[in-house]
Amino acid sequence: MSDVDLVVETVRDILTGYEPFVLTAERPWDAGLWSALAEAGLTGVGVPEEAGGSGGELADAVAIVGALAAGAAAVPVAEQLLVAAPAVLAAGLDLPAPEEPLSIAVDGAVTAEPRDDGDGPGSWTLTGTATDVAWAGVARHLAVLASSPVGPVLALVDVAGRDTTHAANLAGEPRGSLVLQGVTSAGALLTDAQAERLRARYALARAVQLSAALQQVLAWTVQYAGERQQFGRPLGRFQAIQMELAEMAGEVTAVAALVDAAVQAVERDESPVLAAAAAKVRAGAAVEVVARLAHQVHGAIGFTQEHRLHHLTRRCWSWRDEAGTETAWARVLGAGLLADGPDALWPALTRVV
Amino acid sequence: MGSNSLTLAPAPRSAAAEEVRAEVREFLAAELAAGSFTTHVDTWLSGVDPAFSRKLGERGWLGMTWPRQYGGHERTAMERYAVTEELLAAGAPVAAHWIADRQSGPNLLRYGTEAQRAEILPRIAAGECYFVIGMSEPDSGSDLASIRTRATRNGDGDWVVNGAKVWTSNAHTSHYAITLVRTSPADPANRHAGLSQLLVDLSLPGITVNPIRILDGGHHFNEVVFGDVVIPGDMLLGEEGAGWHQVTAELAFERSGPERFLSTYPLIAEFARRASDPAQLAALGRISARLLALRQLSLRIAGALDRGELPDIPAALVKDVGTTFEADVIDEVRRVVDVPASLDSPDALGRALAEAQLHAPGYTLRGGTNEILRGIVARGLGLR
Ligand SMILES: Cc1cc2nc3c(=O)[nH]c(=O)nc-3n(C[C@H](O)[C@H](O)[C@H](O)COP(=O)(O)OP(=O)(O)OC[C@H]3O[C@@H](n4cnc5c(N)ncnc54)[C@H](O)[C@@H]3O)c2cc1C
Repeated sequence: MSDVDLVVETVRDILTGYEPFVLTAERPWDAGLWSALAEAGLTGVGVPEEAGGSGGELADAVAIVGALAAGAAAVPVAEQLLVAAPAVLAAGLDLPAPEEPLSIAVDGAVTAEPRDDGDGPGSWTLTGTATDVAWAGVARHLAVLASSPVGPVLALVDVAGRDTTHAANLAGEPRGSLVLQGVTSAGALLTDAQAERLRARYALARAVQLSAALQQVLAWTVQYAGERQQFGRPLGRFQAIQMELAEMAGEVTAVAALVDAAVQAVERDESPVLAAAAAKVRAGAAVEVVARLAHQVHGAIGFTQEHRLHHLTRRCWSWRDEAGTETAWARVLGAGLLADGPDALWPALTRVV
Repeated sequence: MGSNSLTLAPAPRSAAAEEVRAEVREFLAAELAAGSFTTHVDTWLSGVDPAFSRKLGERGWLGMTWPRQYGGHERTAMERYAVTEELLAAGAPVAAHWIADRQSGPNLLRYGTEAQRAEILPRIAAGECYFVIGMSEPDSGSDLASIRTRATRNGDGDWVVNGAKVWTSNAHTSHYAITLVRTSPADPANRHAGLSQLLVDLSLPGITVNPIRILDGGHHFNEVVFGDVVIPGDMLLGEEGAGWHQVTAELAFERSGPERFLSTYPLIAEFARRASDPAQLAALGRISARLLALRQLSLRIAGALDRGELPDIPAALVKDVGTTFEADVIDEVRRVVDVPASLDSPDALGRALAEAQLHAPGYTLRGGTNEILRGIVARGLGLR
């Protein structure tokens, strides 16, 4: 599977049966959609067949995540395809079957104690609480980034039956905490750079979602402005509205270009930290403008739960804060660009993507 | 969803561009060390230095993409992009040749006669011949089709020009003005008809160049008055009556380059020397993320130009987003440093802030205002 357009078409076909819907505590995700995607092999894209996946490139996985994000699909595909599965594989751990949702936890104070010699993948005892876990209560497995006396550890936890506190982001997507008290799991020691790379890929995954969602919000808004009539003509005929849509288009186009470039940097296997940081910060900044103007152009109808607009704007408002806030990544980017000294800022900028 | 006309294919990575980038960097470091120039903000408007321009010409960094027969170097738009970007980031004095290299040369290549090309292009590529854009008039800014400067044929087939242009950047230091004139009476039914471009030698009798000063007292732009100026008949550029079309085609070159987001880069560089606390590092990160996105957009346009496309709508979008950024940089920096802006500041950051601030109103006006550009983007979205 490598034809990106084909992949996107398949995802969209499947999505049509699962329109975006309002998430509630009782209905925190779209299990039916997940099953349909898993059946089509789409939850294992980017994972080699030897490891139980469907093969395909990072670009395919990115395209799937984008299409699902634009469809406001309530499934942990971004976490699984772009972050957790590659990290688990890179750490040399056994990947769970792709049909079982896998998410990632990078926040919170979880410590890992080696149960054996701690050399290579082994067995670890985890203690602490993983916070802000995406799809907590939904994901069957969790890749947990923990700290140990010998360095960062990536542990793979089967969360069935474990103690989860439920919370939600602004869009209603589950973002709970998971209490781990002396849980024994498979895990592997990472270098600090590997741990940093993992966090960066998580941020990039959110940037990919943001970019796709922002493009969709723009498309919806342009479409709406062409249909909605006031004063006897479509809204899009008013110059003030044209200015707002053009401003949105500027933001959306800038984000798309940078996110694409950051994904390509990861594909080239370059250290993606600064590229991902930049993509996440830029995408987050665009949310301010795009969400505000999209709601303005849609008028009161866009403010209602009946209208689709909120499925994406609420996610955008959340995603920009997740996997590291915009401010945190801005600091990482600023400091990282100065790593070779302030006079080397320009050369650093021309290397990021 | 009409946003497709705004999207361009990702820019191919170019080893050749990175190579020339490294050469330019080395050259600039040596020039800075030798004190041949000092870094300033917005030098593609204000940094006129013919000696520096000639050095760039000697190194083959002007007219880079043009055919060799006209003094060009047949390199790619991506290579040219790298050179221009390095010069702007260093705040180098590039204003003398900027318009000629970016816009007038390509314009001559496309529409000029063989004689015009052979005579002028090699001199531009050598860094010796400078051009200005003679479009705006006192009563014609955004509504360019309303220009009133007229050219009429006399008995010898020459053009006699009367009228006035304004905001003509560097007319006092340049050799030629590609001047938009009305060559047949205004037609209310077709406002874009009857306009032509003339290649005007600025030393001709009857031309008066009057300085107009900007906020910091600098003299960069001018009023250029034409009183019965006789322009040889063979100095028509392109087709009579096709002026509007030709002007529009120029704009992809004019609007998409890195000068549309790097005018205030020297301020960012100065800020980087100061940034240390978390708020400052975050500000630098936010600025950098925006800049990186703009680079990607601008590179995509350079790639499209290499493929022979005319990405005028994306170019309008880049210029809108880019010039907004140029001014926002000042605000981002101001919010996190305690340095008053002053041209006399003992602190280099204070001076850079002052230069950037005093030049700021120009960024979103020159080359077409952001409101006009957004109108073009809206057309790309299918709204007009
Ligand atoms: C630093 C600098 C250098 C320049 N160099 C040159 C040069 O070398 N050669 C040259 O020919 N010109 C040059 N210009 C002129 C520049 O192209 C004009 O300033 C510009 O086209 C705007 O025209 P104007 O100043 O007459 O403003 P106006 O056209 O009077 O516009 C005033 C305001 O009204 C808005 N507006 C106007 N019409 C509309 C509309 N239809 N819809 C919405 N908003 C509208 C504008 O966006 C602007 O905000 C330069 C300008 C600057 C600042």
